[in-house]
Amino acid sequence: MVKRRDFIKWTGAAGIGLTAAGWSALAAADDRRTRTATTSAFPTTGIKGRVVVIGGGMGGATVAKYLRFWGGTGVDVTLIERDSAYTSSIMSNLVLNGSRTINSLQFGYGNLASRYGVKIVKGEVVTIDPVGRAVTLASGTRYAYDRLVVAPGVDFDVLPGLETAAAQAKVPHAWTAGPQTTALRNMITAMPAGGVFVMSIPAKPIRCPPGPYERACVVADWLKRNRSGAKVIVLDANASIMAEEHSFLEGFALHGVEYRPGVSINSVDAATLTLNTSEGNVRGNVLNVIPPHRAGKVIAANGLADAGGRWSNVDVLSYETRIAPGIHVIGDASATTQPKAGHIANQEAKVCADAILRLLSGRAPDPSPHTNSACYSPITFETASWLTVNFAYDPVSKTMQPVPASAGEAATRSKDNFEEMNKWFTALMGDSFA
Amino acid sequence: MNQSKIFQGLVLALAVAPAFAQTTTTAPPPGRLLASNCFQCHGTNGSGGVDSIRGESVSEIYNEMKEMQRKTPPKMMDMHARGYTDAEIKLLATYLATLR
Repeated sequence: MVKRRDFIKWTGAAGIGLTAAGWSALAAADDRRTRTATTSAFPTTGIKGRVVVIGGGMGGATVAKYLRFWGGTGVDVTLIERDSAYTSSIMSNLVLNGSRTINSLQFGYGNLASRYGVKIVKGEVVTIDPVGRAVTLASGTRYAYDRLVVAPGVDFDVLPGLETAAAQAKVPHAWTAGPQTTALRNMITAMPAGGVFVMSIPAKPIRCPPGPYERACVVADWLKRNRSGAKVIVLDANASIMAEEHSFLEGFALHGVEYRPGVSINSVDAATLTLNTSEGNVRGNVLNVIPPHRAGKVIAANGLADAGGRWSNVDVLSYETRIAPGIHVIGDASATTQPKAGHIANQEAKVCADAILRLLSGRAPDPSPHTNSACYSPITFETASWLTVNFAYDPVSKTMQPVPASAGEAATRSKDNFEEMNKWFTALMGDSFA
Repeated sequence: MNQSKIFQGLVLALAVAPAFAQTTTTAPPPGRLLASNCFQCHGTNGSGGVDSIRGESVSEIYNEMKEMQRKTPPKMMDMHARGYTDAEIKLLATYLATLR
């Protein structure tokens, strides 16, 4: 009799003990395996869930990493990316002046897999099923999720005259680093003395607001030193320089860049290298036309482009979309008060990862997040300026707002800034991909 | 003998209790998300980057950031520091100091 009662106590206790201890032992073994590959052990959070991430850029890679780094081994993370490596658009203007190679800007997904246990799937998502909570790839493979993060970056409008691949090859935008960057570099080096490089900037919002002006400076600096009499003309659909106006106006004066604000592109004649603009025709030896932007295709294709048909509206406490519960959109594809840029996409990803971990464990997102934007812009081959702003959540407008005292740019370009830029880039890419 | 077994059972049950509690979820540490704003430049968990901030004490981090808030002309990090309230600096410094 007594033995039976003891038996129940023992089995009851042991039953719980085996379950909990067994689970902990498995988690610890997983931790040990991981610890051999990384400097930090995973936390034991008890949080469980399946998260699928679409897109392995700055936002997508960072959210995948931090979901595991902060959430532990109970959080199953699958990153779906069509390319085998990410090519950084940050620093890619330095390919145009020959000081960097495209290879130096490429980052693979091996660290996310080996250090953090992120499952990497090479493929392209075609369909998102927000009700069944699953995504389907072009191959037909289906991945179920509890939470989905969509980070596809930007896509581009097709301007009249640039419908064909042949025309696009003659007039590259090179606004996504890769083959077009190399092609544009080759066109610049083929320019004759006295040649004209014409670039056009679309109306905002665009990815990396200082980037086009930085490109104009870097290219003009190279031409000045290598092609006598050559010049750069910048046609900007915006009324004025969108960022670091002080630094870029100085740069334009230094390099003799001709800056024409308020000029938009109607059409492009790739055969004669002529732009039909709101201010008449402009010809060049090289045309670099950056088309208007929209979120990556997967957003509109799945009914998520509720902001002007181009971007996704999100709650910036979690980056969950306004229209599809369980689906989060981070980085350039979301419509927020923050700039579209890699550095801040990394921080949006951390806010999103933290919020998803809280939501998976029945908690509310952090009510007062900060994000920050920071970047360096080369003005010459050896000097750079910088720009920074710290954003805080405003509960009244429910938006991220710049803290005024934290917003500013470098007083002058300098070689020190250029050196800091290289350290910043290495650190940023490490925090996102390593 | 029987009493001893009952006692052992209780001891085991008590010992198991905290482990059982671990199967519920732990809340994220205060300040972690805020402090992660440092990691783009200072490396994940503050290691490496433009300069490592891992291993610094709460007061070291707090005092450095208060000094940066006053520095003129401001460099990039001095501007960034101006974006936090005093309470936020204490919060992120307290978290960073746990990353020994």
